[in-house]
Amino acid sequence: MSDQQPSDDALLSSLAARDLGALASLYDRYGRLAYSLAYRILGESEGAEDVVQDAFLSAWRGAPGYRRERGNPRAWLLSIVHHRAVDILRRKTTFRPAPLEVAELQPGDEDTALAAERNVEHRTVRAALESLPQAQRRTIELAYFGGYTHVELSELMGVPLGTVKGRMRIGLQKMRRALERSR
Amino acid sequence: MNDHVLDDLEAYALGALGQADAQHIAAHLATCGSCRTEAAALAEVVGTLPDAVALREPRATLRERVIAAARADLQPTTAGDPRRRSLGSIRPARVAFAGLIAAVIVLGAIDVDAYRRVSSTTAERNEYSAIVESLRQGARVWYMTGKNDFAGSGGTLFDPRADGKQPFVLFHDLPAIPQGKVLTIWLVSPDSTWARAATFRPNGHDIQWVQITAEIAGFDRCAVTLDDSPWGRHGTIVMESRIAPPTSAP
Repeated sequence: MSDQQPSDDALLSSLAARDLGALASLYDRYGRLAYSLAYRILGESEGAEDVVQDAFLSAWRGAPGYRRERGNPRAWLLSIVHHRAVDILRRKTTFRPAPLEVAELQPGDEDTALAAERNVEHRTVRAALESLPQAQRRTIELAYFGGYTHVELSELMGVPLGTVKGRMRIGLQKMRRALERSR
Repeated sequence: MNDHVLDDLEAYALGALGQADAQHIAAHLATCGSCRTEAAALAEVVGTLPDAVALREPRATLRERVIAAARADLQPTTAGDPRRRSLGSIRPARVAFAGLIAAVIVLGAIDVDAYRRVSSTTAERNEYSAIVESLRQGARVWYMTGKNDFAGSGGTLFDPRADGKQPFVLFHDLPAIPQGKVLTIWLVSPDSTWARAATFRPNGHDIQWVQITAEIAGFDRCAVTLDDSPWGRHGTIVMESRIAPPTSAP
């Protein structure tokens, strides 16, 4: 029992109490995933590391005000990473990530994609995403990983804004059902 | 009347709205339980998307950077209490000067010009330096840099952290704004939720002090927008803080 890992909620409570050890534990738990997400959005390691540092510092500072209705600690932390990375991406004009399948065929820089370590959750989400019709999947990927607004997507894809919204709605509904079935 | 926002909730969950639209949705969610429930369900689905990415290993030094940044953030509150001075005994004008000086000292690398202007226009710098130190200890500080028509101006948000002391923002060099417009100070949470903290108009002075009544806890950035009214959607961002205040991390 004594070597049982603290829950995410417990770590966040410790963070709010200014416990650096809890921050280190949170980083050990999610630092790699946070970095992978930031890298996926920004496409380069230096910017991704800055985002991760910034996001963990934000969590450190924001922990006292964290409320569960904003999502569980993991989702909350990753949403900070996502927001930060997209903020940076939108200030750039030269880089927009490619769709998932193209991005993952690209060679990494000094980092190595650790594809062999994909866990069940990873496979489940990938399967749910890959089960979507291409238009819905592409819309969701470009919005989430590409940082495009729905208005930009409408122009980029040459479809009415209502179509973009519809693809997002139906795509996320299908994903939700697929994820529910797998649990 | 309840103008639901269901049409945009998917885009909101995916982070695919512009800032003004996202703020509008966030404001609605704060008051509408049914939309909030739907948004939470969508957020749960979107929250799985990070699991779709290929894992990559960051450099080992990143962990050290994260811890060092938090440790640096911790230092002001643990080191400052013995010398903390009550703001209640200081006249507002002095607090204003002290605040500005503190801002440019603490963040001098960001706004060297502002520091030069202040140091050349006040003969009381030494006296205020003592006050500055007391403000620095234990206070959290964000510097917002003006942009576009507000370039050259700036504002420092102080959270004194002392019991009963309200946060405030000290602006310098605010330009005049059109009749009927207002400036709004926003507090931004780590997950990019915006909360209105104060609305004001420039008073024409070099320095302007604006009190904030909102709770600072839970927010880590701030911004100022130029708006048509003190409510509704926000307009153009004219000033914003860095993504995170500077740290001593490498």
